[in-house]
Amino acid sequence: MSLEPPALSIKGLVKRYDDGTLALAGLDLDVPAGEFFGLLGPNGAGKTTLINAVCNLIRVTGGEIGVFGHPASSLEARRMVGLAEQDPNLDRFLSVREALLYHGGYYGITRARSVERAEEMIDVFDLRAKADVRAPKLSGGMRRRLLLARALLHEPRLVILDEPTAGVDIELRRELWRYIRMLHSRGTTILLTTHYLEEAEALCEDIALIAGGEIVARSTPEGLKERFGAATLEDVYLKAVHQPRDEAMA
Amino acid sequence: MNAGESSISGPHSARAEPWRGLAWLSARECLRVSKLWTQTMLAPVVSSLLFILVFGLSLGSRIREVSGFEYDVFIVPGLVAMAMAQAAYSNNSSSIFQARSDRYIDDVLAAPMRPWQMNLGLTIGGAFRAVLIGIALAALAIPLTGASVERPLALAAAVLLLVALFGALGVVVGIYAETFDHHTFINNIVILPLTFVGGVFYSVEVLPSPWEEFSHANPLFYVVNTMRYGFLGSSDVSVWLSFAVTAAIAAAVVAWSQYLFTTGRRLKP
Repeated sequence: MSLEPPALSIKGLVKRYDDGTLALAGLDLDVPAGEFFGLLGPNGAGKTTLINAVCNLIRVTGGEIGVFGHPASSLEARRMVGLAEQDPNLDRFLSVREALLYHGGYYGITRARSVERAEEMIDVFDLRAKADVRAPKLSGGMRRRLLLARALLHEPRLVILDEPTAGVDIELRRELWRYIRMLHSRGTTILLTTHYLEEAEALCEDIALIAGGEIVARSTPEGLKERFGAATLEDVYLKAVHQPRDEAMA
Repeated sequence: MNAGESSISGPHSARAEPWRGLAWLSARECLRVSKLWTQTMLAPVVSSLLFILVFGLSLGSRIREVSGFEYDVFIVPGLVAMAMAQAAYSNNSSSIFQARSDRYIDDVLAAPMRPWQMNLGLTIGGAFRAVLIGIALAALAIPLTGASVERPLALAAAVLLLVALFGALGVVVGIYAETFDHHTFINNIVILPLTFVGGVFYSVEVLPSPWEEFSHANPLFYVVNTMRYGFLGSSDVSVWLSFAVTAAIAAAVVAWSQYLFTTGRRLKP
C-alpha cells in the first residue's frame, strides 16, 4: 500500500453560489497519486465548480481540499496543479511565447528554466510557426494547444483537463490523447472531464459520475458496466445520472 | 505534436520561488503599458501639454500672478497630478476589467502567489504608466514654463501617495466593474471633475464663500496641493494636512483592494 498522500483528497465540499444555487453538496472524493481519473456528468452537474474549487478560482462554502497532502489554498499545492480550462482564457496582450514565459514566472520558476520550458512546449505542441502571434489571432485548435502547453509548463504533478478536446478535430484529439497518455505514463496524475464517453473509456483507469453536486458512482470503466448491467459506458452514464443517488452507489 | 520527444522532464522538476510571481506579474503589467504606448503614454502627455500651451502660455499672459507664481508655472503641478492620477486609475481598472472579462486573470489567481503579491503586481502597471507620464510632462513643461522642483523629497512622497491612491482605486473599480462603462464613468464623472475643481487651474483662496470651504471637502484638492508643494514649495493649505489627508485616503483605498484579494470577493464567484 502506497504511503504517498492522494493527489486529491476532498471531504464534504460544499459550494453555494451567491444566487443560492447549490453546485456541490458535501462532495467527497479521493484521487490516488499517479492515477488517470475521469469525471463525467451532465452540464451543471458540478464538474467545473469542483475543478475551480481545487484551483482556488471560487470561494468554497465548506469542506476541505487537499492536494498531495497540502491544503489546496497553500502555495505548495498551487505549484503542483496545472489547469487547462474548458474555454480558452488566454492573455490577449501576450504572444504564444510570452504567454508561456509569463505563466512560468507566475508559478515561480526561474527565467532560464521558464524560457527553456516555453521553447520545449512550443515544439511539443507544434506552436513554433505561431510563437510570436498574440492569442486573439490564433485558430481554435491552436488556442487549445496553447492552453494545454500553459497548463503543463510548470511541470505540475496533478494536471486537470476540463473538456480538453471539446470542439477540436479528430486529428488533434488523437494527438492530445497520445500526449496525455505519455504524460500519465511518466507519473503525472490526470483529472479529466469530458462529454465524450469513448474518450473517458479509452483513457481513464478510474471514472466517477457526478450529478447534482455529488458523486453518484465510481469505478473502473469495466466495473461500472458490470455494476449497472450495461453494455456501454453511455448506458452506465444514463442510468447513473438519472437514478436516485442511493441506488447508484449501492 | 511531438509526444515522443524528450520535452517532458517529469513532473515537478522546476525549482520554484514565490517572489518571482510578483516580479513577473509586475513585468506583465508594464509590458501591457509599453505595447499600448500610443494609447497609454502618448495621448495623455499630448493632451496635458495642450492644457499647458492653451491655458498657460496663451491665456496665462492675461492672468495676473496666482499665489505669487506666473499662471503658466502655477498650473503645471496640478496638470501633472491630474494626468498621473488618471493614468494610474484608468490603467489598472481597464487591465483588471479585461483580465476578468476574458478570464485570463484565472492564470494569476490559481498561481502560487499570496494575495498581497497579486494586488501589488496588478497595481504596478498603473504606477509605472503614471510615473512615466509625470516624468515626460515635467521634462516638457519645466523648460516651457520655467517651473521648477523646489522640494524633490516632498514631490517623491506626493507621487508615491498619488499612484498608491489612484492605482488602488483602479484595481477596486476594475474588480467591481460589470461593463467598460463603469470604468469610464468613475474617470469622467468623479476623478476628472473633482480634479478640475480641486485647484488645478486656480488657487481656492480666490473663491468666494462657501465655494472655498466646499473645496476643502474635495479629497483631490489635497492631492493637488501635495504635488504643488513638491514642485513650487507652496500649498493652499498646511502641507502636513495635505499629506495626511492624501495618505489617509490612499491607505483606505489600498486596504479595500487588499480586502478584495484576500477574501476573493468579486474576483471569485
